[in-house]
Amino acid sequence: MRIFKTVATAATAIALLVTPAFAQDKPVVGLVMKSLANEFFQNMLEGAEAHAVERGDYELRAVGMQNETDFESQINAVENFITQGVDAIVIAPADSKAMVRPIKKAIAAGITVVNFDVALDEDAKKEQGLELAFVGPDNRGGAKMAGDALGKKLGEGAKVVIVEGNPGADNATQRRLGFEDSVAEYKLDLLDSRTAHWETEEANQVFSTMLTAHPDVQGVLAANDSMAIGVVKALENAGRSDILVVGFDNVPAVGPMIEDGRMLATVDQFGQKMAADAIDLALEVVAGGPALEGWVKTNIKLVTAE
Amino acid sequence: MTSDNRPLEPTPRRALSFRAIINNAGIGLALLALILFFSLTSEFFLTSNNITNILTQITINLILAVGMTFVILIGGIDLSVGSVMAFAAVVAGKAITLPDMGITELVLLACLAGVMTGLICGLLNGVISAFWGLPSFIITLGMLNIARGAALHVSDAKTIYSFPSAFENFGSALIYGVPVVFLVALLITLIAWFVLNWTVFGRLLYGIGNNEEAVRLAGHQVFWLKVAAFTICGATAGIAAVIYMARLSISSPIAGIGFELNAIAAVIIGGTSLAGGRGSVIGTLLGAFIIGVLANGLILIGLNDFMRQMITGVVIIVAVILDYYRAKYSAS
Amino acid sequence: MFAPKINEAMRDMNLAPQETLPNTILAVSNLKKHFGGVRALDGVSFSLARGETHALVGENGAGKSTLIKTLSGAFPFDSGDIVLDGVSYRPSTPHEAKARGVQVVHQEFNLLNHLSVAENISIEAMPRNRFGILDRAEMNRRAQASLNAIGLGEIDVRTSVQSLGIAHRQLIEIARSLQSDSSILILDEPTATLTERETKRLFEIIADIKEKGVTVVFVTHHLDEVFAICDRVTIFRNGETIATELIADTTPENVVRHMVGRELEAERSNSRSIGTAGDVALSTRKLKVAFNPHQDGLDMDVHYGEIVGIAGLVGAGRTEFLRGISAVDPIVSGHVERDGSPVRFRSPRDAISAGIAFVTEDRKEEGLILDMPIAANVSLANMEAVSGAGLMRFGTERRRAKSYEEKLHIKCGSVKDAANSLSGGNQQKVVLAKWLACSPQVLILDEPTRGVDVGAKAEIYGILRNLAREGTALLVVSSELPELMTLCDRILVMANHKIVGSVARADFTEERILKMAYGQNGIEEGTNA
Repeated sequence: MRIFKTVATAATAIALLVTPAFAQDKPVVGLVMKSLANEFFQNMLEGAEAHAVERGDYELRAVGMQNETDFESQINAVENFITQGVDAIVIAPADSKAMVRPIKKAIAAGITVVNFDVALDEDAKKEQGLELAFVGPDNRGGAKMAGDALGKKLGEGAKVVIVEGNPGADNATQRRLGFEDSVAEYKLDLLDSRTAHWETEEANQVFSTMLTAHPDVQGVLAANDSMAIGVVKALENAGRSDILVVGFDNVPAVGPMIEDGRMLATVDQFGQKMAADAIDLALEVVAGGPALEGWVKTNIKLVTAE
Repeated sequence: MTSDNRPLEPTPRRALSFRAIINNAGIGLALLALILFFSLTSEFFLTSNNITNILTQITINLILAVGMTFVILIGGIDLSVGSVMAFAAVVAGKAITLPDMGITELVLLACLAGVMTGLICGLLNGVISAFWGLPSFIITLGMLNIARGAALHVSDAKTIYSFPSAFENFGSALIYGVPVVFLVALLITLIAWFVLNWTVFGRLLYGIGNNEEAVRLAGHQVFWLKVAAFTICGATAGIAAVIYMARLSISSPIAGIGFELNAIAAVIIGGTSLAGGRGSVIGTLLGAFIIGVLANGLILIGLNDFMRQMITGVVIIVAVILDYYRAKYSAS
Repeated sequence: MFAPKINEAMRDMNLAPQETLPNTILAVSNLKKHFGGVRALDGVSFSLARGETHALVGENGAGKSTLIKTLSGAFPFDSGDIVLDGVSYRPSTPHEAKARGVQVVHQEFNLLNHLSVAENISIEAMPRNRFGILDRAEMNRRAQASLNAIGLGEIDVRTSVQSLGIAHRQLIEIARSLQSDSSILILDEPTATLTERETKRLFEIIADIKEKGVTVVFVTHHLDEVFAICDRVTIFRNGETIATELIADTTPENVVRHMVGRELEAERSNSRSIGTAGDVALSTRKLKVAFNPHQDGLDMDVHYGEIVGIAGLVGAGRTEFLRGISAVDPIVSGHVERDGSPVRFRSPRDAISAGIAFVTEDRKEEGLILDMPIAANVSLANMEAVSGAGLMRFGTERRRAKSYEEKLHIKCGSVKDAANSLSGGNQQKVVLAKWLACSPQVLILDEPTRGVDVGAKAEIYGILRNLAREGTALLVVSSELPELMTLCDRILVMANHKIVGSVARADFTEERILKMAYGQNGIEEGTNA
């Protein structure tokens, strides 16, 4: 794999030398993705690749990782892009603190950096004296949209449980906070909140047990759709059709569930477009546009049967 | 294999079998204690719904653990079962969503594809580690990555869904409150018990775990025996994959991460020695129950996730310490 | 020099040997130890005088090993007294025993196979430099010194124990025990794995230790050794001490009578008549194994009904040769012939199907599955006889095991007991039973009576002779010349991976065979016979 990469890089370098005029026309964008084992990021990468072909006025170099917590290889990827002298780096950080230092290095090297999907940690940025805009969805806001849909339907005082993502992961925390915002707003009764590590089978087991302990539960807030699927299967097994489920991500597998009412809602954050949008923003800056500031929120949308 | 602390004088038979009863009863008693504890602390624990839940929840782990018992009995380990299960699920998922086929054919094809995928992965584990005499720890660690990568590659990292409803019904069917998938797991356990205790093959696996060289010199094909143990383990991962699909109506390429550790834990808690040669699938059955009851009961009594994880860890360590004493007392 | 002095002192004091002597270092009285319902020790009493060499003899299972394990703190005793240096002694751990000056060299090795010789020797007191870091140079120097002291200077202390033969391992174990200052040194069958030359060397070492005032307890099955170096002997039978006698006042016949409780027929007599050898059963043609440094392999024939012995020193290549024949280890060149036609074995399985059974020298590592029942061990090499369609027939298995238990006089509680519950001699009989269960036409044995007591030895000889009489071809490697001379029709002598001679039964003398083995007199008497 590494050999392949080296060869590819070398080939690119030779191509740059041979056709300088052509190469100089096109800015190079380095895209640093999170785990490609995750369907969401896989879709995002495909979206970016399609976008590059469609625009045709820039060269895309994408790097993914083996798993969600493998931020070592992200750091290496950023450093390689610095060495290659790319024009822009568009990055979805695997760790909101660990990635601050390499990104600062890239900016010092004169590269335009756009941080998308997961925001870098504010404190870590301050500590390193780094100012960088964030392009991405509002996970907390999105979760609140789903939570609100549930709250509206169930009304005040309804009993709900949360199925969380990986403890410690930034998007898991944001989504949990969003759900909790809805719980507070609609005065819902939160019976229990547990992690199922983003996993279908585990969500199925954990939720079945929660259902036993709280048979009077009325609604379930799942931090992603994989877990929502596990919850739906648990409800089917228990023969309960009176409990509402909301999820997050709008993966294709939940489409039929929303249609036939087994799920109330999910949230689409247009993952497929997210990387492409961030690349557009980066290219604008590279072309001499003004620097990005603050939080550039990307589209999110509540998906329901209506 | 050393026998330094053992007396050279014969030990009477009655004392041995009495100890054997105590040894096996030990795990059962621990399980009974857990059940008693949770039934006193949670009103829901002994409800029929919850019992159905527990049986469903231990099904996959039990199937994986039974296969793992074969490998651990010969002194090996298989770290790849979680990934192999995901790979098998993806292959079976591709098969079951093929167009233009009858439902029965699709389901049969998917089951066959899943089990065969697992079986082939296990076969590779066995052939490679036995042929070059390499530690199975390393080989199966490699397979863990290969199978996971293959699962992601074949599925394009996308969850496969929309299976025939007959297949899904099988995953949630109950007979007198007992999940059919659990009955499948129980049947596999009984077959494994029979194979290990009543066949020449089983006897030789125990022999290999105790003294591989003695078995080889006695004219047995140790290579193929070891390959068979790994192949059985892989096949159970394939069966677990089919059950996973039937239960959850999806096949996810990221399913089963860390399942191998739960399976190993069930085997070890069940009293099978990591060094090989000693243990039983009945112990594994009890071990899987202990893990399942613990996971279920701790949620019911409202313990938080982090405490739950810690307590599961403590139970594994206590089980291994108990195993140490068991080995010690059965030796002297 | 020292021994006669003690004998005189004891005689002068006119004391019965069993009574406590004034210079007693250890006194054991009425010691009892039960394992479940078995009385392993059932009233053991004896005493050790300071600086004497005291032999413990008795058949396997008589209680010697249990006694030693009790003395070394491996497990506690039930009742009775032990007084060491005038103070009550009841060690609960081996460490405690060592602290009180009692050191045991066990029959089963306690060496760490992957570590170097030097590390093994110094394991209890690793030398450290000023920084508390292991001083490897000093460790190697000390280890070399201790090996030199026992005449093993040729061993490189940096090599791993794994790469050494079983005899060398035994000597290293002894070297290690000599590292610590102890007042009582117990040697549990130290000569079982040694050749005569090494045994002689060991006796010199024991004499040296004795000079330093150390009391040596010597457990052995070889009465000639007892009479060569010991001052007194205590005889065990069925967990009891039968008698303690001054060597000067007793005879080997007397000791044997105490041991077995009956008169033993003169086993060592040249009673075996040369059997009529039939057709050639097994031959090797230029058979060369990996360890063999010579270009040409080995040629040899064994006939049906014949017992052929292979004599030689440790390292002469005897074991490797046997392992090559039975396909336990791969061969480099040449081939094996069965019934006159060449055969190629890819694994022990092929050799077994060709009617060849091989009893290896190391029964614990290669012969037995110690934790499994006796019955399972007996059926291991012939599972077909105790199964049908792949399913076990436990009744048949038990019956077959029982029949071998009777035929070979295996002393055990039940054939369901684990093999490790048996004494060494009985374990060896189980190994024999396993191979006899395949009804072999050629039986190859490597050190068939190592660690086996006198009584069981005689029984094993009887079994082997019977097999030959029934037409089986036998090939036996042994480091005990008397054993080969008792048993064999013909002895091949090996030295440095070559067959240097062949001696027919009529010409057997120890001197003649030893000379060949030492390579002094390469008599080529029909090497290819």
